[in-house]
Amino acid sequence: MSNPLLAIEHLRVDFPEVIAVNDLTLNIGAGEVCGLIGPNGAGKTTTMRAISGLQECTRGSVKVGGHELASEPDELKRQLGFMPDFCPTYDQLTASEFLDHFARAYDVPNRARRIDECLQLTWLTEKTNSLCDELSRGMKQRLVLAKTLLPNPKVLLLDEPASGLDPLGRIELRKILLQLREAGKAVLISSHILTELSGFCNTAAIMERGRLVTFGTIAELGQRAGARKMSVKWRADDGKALDILKAANVNNLEATNLGATFDFGGDTDALDELLKTLVIQGVRISEWRGTSDDLEQIFLQSGAKELM
Amino acid sequence: MKLFDNPIFITQRRLMHRAGVLAPILIAALIGLSLLAGLIAYLADPMDFNFNSPQDAGKVFYGWIIGVEILVLVIGGFSKISRTLAEERKAGLWDSNCLTPLKPAQIVSGYWLGSPLRECYMAAILAGTGLVICVLAKLPLAFWPGTQILIFSTALFFGLLASLVGMAFQKPQAGILMVGLVFFLYMPALAFSRHTVTNFLLPIYGIVNLFNGGNDSNREWDAWPEIFGLSVPPILLSLALQFILGIFLWRAAVRKTANPFQPLLLRWEAIAIFALLVVTQHSLIWNNWHGAFGAAQHIQAYRNYPDDSLMAVTHGGTIFLGVLILTFSSPLPERVRVEALRAGGGSLKMIFSRSAVSLALALAVIAAIATLTQFIFSFGENAIIWLVTAGNLFVFFLMFSLLLEFCRLRFKRRALGFVALWLFVLCILPFILGGVFSNAALAKLSFLAPGVIAVSDYNADLTFLGCVTFAHFGGVLLFFLAWRQQWKLLLAKTSPSTSTQ
Repeated sequence: MSNPLLAIEHLRVDFPEVIAVNDLTLNIGAGEVCGLIGPNGAGKTTTMRAISGLQECTRGSVKVGGHELASEPDELKRQLGFMPDFCPTYDQLTASEFLDHFARAYDVPNRARRIDECLQLTWLTEKTNSLCDELSRGMKQRLVLAKTLLPNPKVLLLDEPASGLDPLGRIELRKILLQLREAGKAVLISSHILTELSGFCNTAAIMERGRLVTFGTIAELGQRAGARKMSVKWRADDGKALDILKAANVNNLEATNLGATFDFGGDTDALDELLKTLVIQGVRISEWRGTSDDLEQIFLQSGAKELM
Repeated sequence: MKLFDNPIFITQRRLMHRAGVLAPILIAALIGLSLLAGLIAYLADPMDFNFNSPQDAGKVFYGWIIGVEILVLVIGGFSKISRTLAEERKAGLWDSNCLTPLKPAQIVSGYWLGSPLRECYMAAILAGTGLVICVLAKLPLAFWPGTQILIFSTALFFGLLASLVGMAFQKPQAGILMVGLVFFLYMPALAFSRHTVTNFLLPIYGIVNLFNGGNDSNREWDAWPEIFGLSVPPILLSLALQFILGIFLWRAAVRKTANPFQPLLLRWEAIAIFALLVVTQHSLIWNNWHGAFGAAQHIQAYRNYPDDSLMAVTHGGTIFLGVLILTFSSPLPERVRVEALRAGGGSLKMIFSRSAVSLALALAVIAAIATLTQFIFSFGENAIIWLVTAGNLFVFFLMFSLLLEFCRLRFKRRALGFVALWLFVLCILPFILGGVFSNAALAKLSFLAPGVIAVSDYNADLTFLGCVTFAHFGGVLLFFLAWRQQWKLLLAKTSPSTSTQ
């Protein structure tokens, strides 16, 4: 990546008895949403705190938008939004007053309008004048997300942003993240709920015991994790499809009702070729899905599962 | 950015108004008006009161105002600031504010001046009522501004201290405990009026002096303090001390906000604060012996309480101050280890330069030089008193710094308890045993004893005290070996295999 918005090089964070983050190198570019995955104690939160300057680094460098944490912390702060895994709010302020506090701190232009935009984006418009104390955990989570988005940062660090959200909230969060991705932001997001990350992450970094186990696009990681588990369904069973699959030397082929599952060891081009062959031969495909493209599979096959 | 545009100040004001300010303001107003009514009643019918003059009555009523004002503004403000900071740190709001582009100075000033606003309102009401009392009682023109300046400067000074307490301690109660401890320790200092620096750092002497109204050297609380024999107005001394120390506190608070991993005090700042307080203390007692401590003429002249114990109190106070500074300035072992890792490894030389032990040596040198000022003209005949006192300072500071770091390295989270245990065994237990077995020699084995006895008992066996100091030095060597061993173990520690979040 030529010019990443978030560049971490050889980051190391020491705690009294452990190395919390060990030699972590990670680059995230514009329009990239990177899922930071790992079991409890892998070093995800520490990594995010170290990037934002809340945790002292033993070694390594962190750059946000080209600004080095060690030498240009003020510039870096303007480009970075960090949403922690809990919801720090002033309980006796209203939602709009809470955002006003941070809008003033970030010197956001057109403060009132921007606050309204962020409240709208996080579906809190109706709660504008409610005290933070009266908001549910999920609403507080959304309010803190609004606070994080307030200064329109280029890089966002979201630590377990969906942990307090209801299903509807999670769907809305996904929409926001997709919007951020399209807006060219670099987002590093950690979550234990891997299925939800699959919907919007285009890259993933898997950590274990402070180390980066693997990093890449979801497709790359799927390939690295080994043979892809594929699932195919067709509309009419004439036996032709199964013959084609057998001829393609797939492994563990299992026929299901109007479909089959199999392991495919080839690359993406070879898989595309197989699909093309099926279509040309007149198989009416109704579903073609790589099950190992989901993060859960990748995570389980990455080796970072010992602590789960 | 102006204070009224500071988002933290604005938020603290909003929070304070939301919690309500009318009731506290009314309480302050009722207290003030009650006292004012008392004065008006006296002026209307002086026969019903036991005052000699309207001025006397005014001073009494205004004295009550000042007492309540100090309670509200200094103690209440201290508690509020430290509690707010500790709570916001715990809630994560402090981190959120530190992540914004606000400058550290803006963050500190927002909390420092914003969180005790309720207390400021109450104090303003009381001060206003006090002004009316002063005018009605026809008190001297400088009386009201003088006392109010001292109260507000003390509140600002303690506010900065509270900011640091809030940043350093996890529990808000620590702030209140700290105030309690300060006032508890302050009580004995009242016996020494203008001879202890604490009476000027807390402006009790300045306020009492204004009440007594003048510079009459024959009356203890009327006389101006003397810095190496030079008379200085007490209000000026208080303001100067608070201002200079306040600058250090401000720097520490701003630095800690900019980088929470920094120690509270830089090494040179710790040394400067220690030097300022110790040298000021010795300058305040200079007039008792004029640099000829222990000389025959002074032995008779100053053999009455409390003057004969001034040097012992100064010595004990110096040790106490050194212990405080060493505790707050000594870096945590883990931090030194991280620095060693950054430097690509570490050596004992590097550890020594960063540890509290080298700082202890510096403090001991300063304290010894400050003590020497009392012996300049009697050094020939009393060098051994100074040697024992200075030796005691060296031994105590070294012992404490080695003990503190050894316990932190060896016992980690339980270090505080073990430091207290060792200090009890080395400093207090000999006195207890001396009392139990009616044996004064046992008491002299305490690490506190040689210096205190040497400067307070003119008939002390100085040779014996010198031997005890040497024996203490042997104990310090043992501590040093144990300390070195623990550092070697830490530096040799290989990369741990487990990780945490």
